[in-house]
Amino acid sequence: MAEEISALQVFQLTVNYDKTPVLWDITLEVPSGVLVGIIGPNGAGKTTFLKAALGLLQPLSGKMTFFGNPLSKVRQRVAYVPQRATVDWDFPITVKDLVLMGRYGRLGVLRWPRKADWAAAYHYLEMVGMAQYGHRQISQLSGGQQQRVFIARALMEEADLYFMDEPFAGIDVASEKTIVELLHRLKEQGKTVCTVHHDLNTVESYFDWVMVLNIRLVACGPVEEVFNATTLNAAYGKSYALFGEALQRSRRKMKGF
Amino acid sequence: MCLAAALVGVLVFLRKQSLLGESLSHASYPGVVVGVVVASPWITTKNEGLVIAVAVAAGAFVTAWIGLLVIELLQRKVGVRIDAALCFVLSAFFGIGLTIASHVQFTHTTLYLKMLPYLYGQPATMTDVHIVIYGILSLVILLMVILLHKELQAISFDRDFAASLGINVKTIDAVILFLVVLAVVVGIRSVGVVLMSAMLIAPAVAARQWTNNFTMLLIIAALIGLVSGFLGNYLSVEGNRYFSRGDAYWRFALPTGPMIVLVAGVMCILSLLLASERGLLWRKLRALRFRYRCICENILKTLWHFGSENEIALEVVAKYQDISSIYLKFILWRLSSHRWVNNTKPRYYCLTNDGRQWAAKIVRLHRLWELYLADYVGVGVERVHRNAEEMEHIISSEVEEQLTQLLHNPKQDPHDQPIPSKDFVI
Repeated sequence: MAEEISALQVFQLTVNYDKTPVLWDITLEVPSGVLVGIIGPNGAGKTTFLKAALGLLQPLSGKMTFFGNPLSKVRQRVAYVPQRATVDWDFPITVKDLVLMGRYGRLGVLRWPRKADWAAAYHYLEMVGMAQYGHRQISQLSGGQQQRVFIARALMEEADLYFMDEPFAGIDVASEKTIVELLHRLKEQGKTVCTVHHDLNTVESYFDWVMVLNIRLVACGPVEEVFNATTLNAAYGKSYALFGEALQRSRRKMKGF
Repeated sequence: MCLAAALVGVLVFLRKQSLLGESLSHASYPGVVVGVVVASPWITTKNEGLVIAVAVAAGAFVTAWIGLLVIELLQRKVGVRIDAALCFVLSAFFGIGLTIASHVQFTHTTLYLKMLPYLYGQPATMTDVHIVIYGILSLVILLMVILLHKELQAISFDRDFAASLGINVKTIDAVILFLVVLAVVVGIRSVGVVLMSAMLIAPAVAARQWTNNFTMLLIIAALIGLVSGFLGNYLSVEGNRYFSRGDAYWRFALPTGPMIVLVAGVMCILSLLLASERGLLWRKLRALRFRYRCICENILKTLWHFGSENEIALEVVAKYQDISSIYLKFILWRLSSHRWVNNTKPRYYCLTNDGRQWAAKIVRLHRLWELYLADYVGVGVERVHRNAEEMEHIISSEVEEQLTQLLHNPKQDPHDQPIPSKDFVI
């Protein structure tokens, strides 16, 4: 039987902000073909984890491999859906142009998008149900529509591992349903999706693997094993609050160096 | 040159760093002064133009780049906010430049005169040498913007996503800053250190009003820059000719640099007012048209409520509207000329068939919305009327369709009044 390569392997990852740790000594493994929910209280380092994985942040120490390779070798197999709030929605760009951006990585510098790329853009727009909005400027969309367009952009990369940062935050029910169906379709095709999630009520129905973070890794494993009162108490409970507060004070004192 | 400045201006504008051009152009001034002084031993009558042009360009580039580094340093290490850092560099560097210049005024008087054109711009005295040098630099800017077009768009819009695609964000950032400094160096001979930032930003702001596409934005901004350059020059020359004809009191010198900036500024204001979708004028017009339609619909509703067959007196209609009597008479006249209303006797009006259809539709939308609010949103029955008064003018036919389905084609509203059916026919 062929050995299954994990989609993501993290070994002793530590990320600092100034001199205080935001992520501390994270070691975990995520198999391929699962939907992972990344949960934890505010400031737990969930977004930082995503950014470190994608190479947007320099970790202090630690190693991450994707399908057994460093990120630089398999960049085209990893896609990213950032938080909606980080973007300037007044930027002069229409929905179809935004989705096309997903191909820029594959095209490289000095190459222009071709008809095939445009066709793919419309195909993925249709998949998220936004085909008729192709010519709209993005500020004219609702939150759920914007999120779907973001996801279409990531789908354009045709990757094997997707990282999504709070895709369900502040969107309408119809969009949420569309996105969940999309996630399941991706899983059926054997893709892996890691999603930062904020709503504990839906974790069990949406995901089959869970990663609980609070600066340290509290737990990582199948949702039936990991998602229980003990783990949640460890992550969100008072005993950890002290740890968080100590870190905050340390951050304030060391600011600026 | 104006074209190159406009292109770079778009990039700076979209990254919300519009003041950067202002800071860097002022920071380039000490470089201009020092550059000329340092190069003075090499000047002969033959190569004067070339040497000075190169010296100025090099000096401006160096001090503008230093200014950039100081801004970064202040932000990163000292923790100063971006606006304060920009202001500081702008005034400090410019002050240094002016101080050195005032000294040079006495030590190298002829050289000092050569520096003045860079303060306010003097394209009229540019020679072929200048045109070649600035032309080449402008071409470099144009080429870089075209070649890196996709990456510039991706990074300006969503930096993290661009980085996740593997685009080298740090390098492209450096390239953009390099282009800004280059544009400043190229432009200060034409419009001067003091006004340079206008040539970066005004075309970008103007072009933004006309398009929602990044490529078109670059093209339109470039065109506006080009037109400003030409018109500015033309108006300055013609204007000078015109004004110097009269007596001394009316003589008006129209310096070219400021004229270019004025033309760009006027194009910007016109774009803000008149551009097809975002322009202020059109938005006002659309708002007025909507208000007019609301009043029409309210009048038709009033006539409908009093019995669609009856003739209603003007005074009665006026009681239910909130507008002046002149405006009311005007609207009633327009309604009757468009056959929504019949003016049967003087000061008496009644609905035509078409008018009845329109009024029935509005009443239907009003009552459907009231029912929706009362049954689905849980708003108290006393309060639904007010909101429905506004919504009846806004609900589109798609929403009406959805409401009809959701409420199962209702016949009565929360106040137990009948809802006119969709195909209301007399």
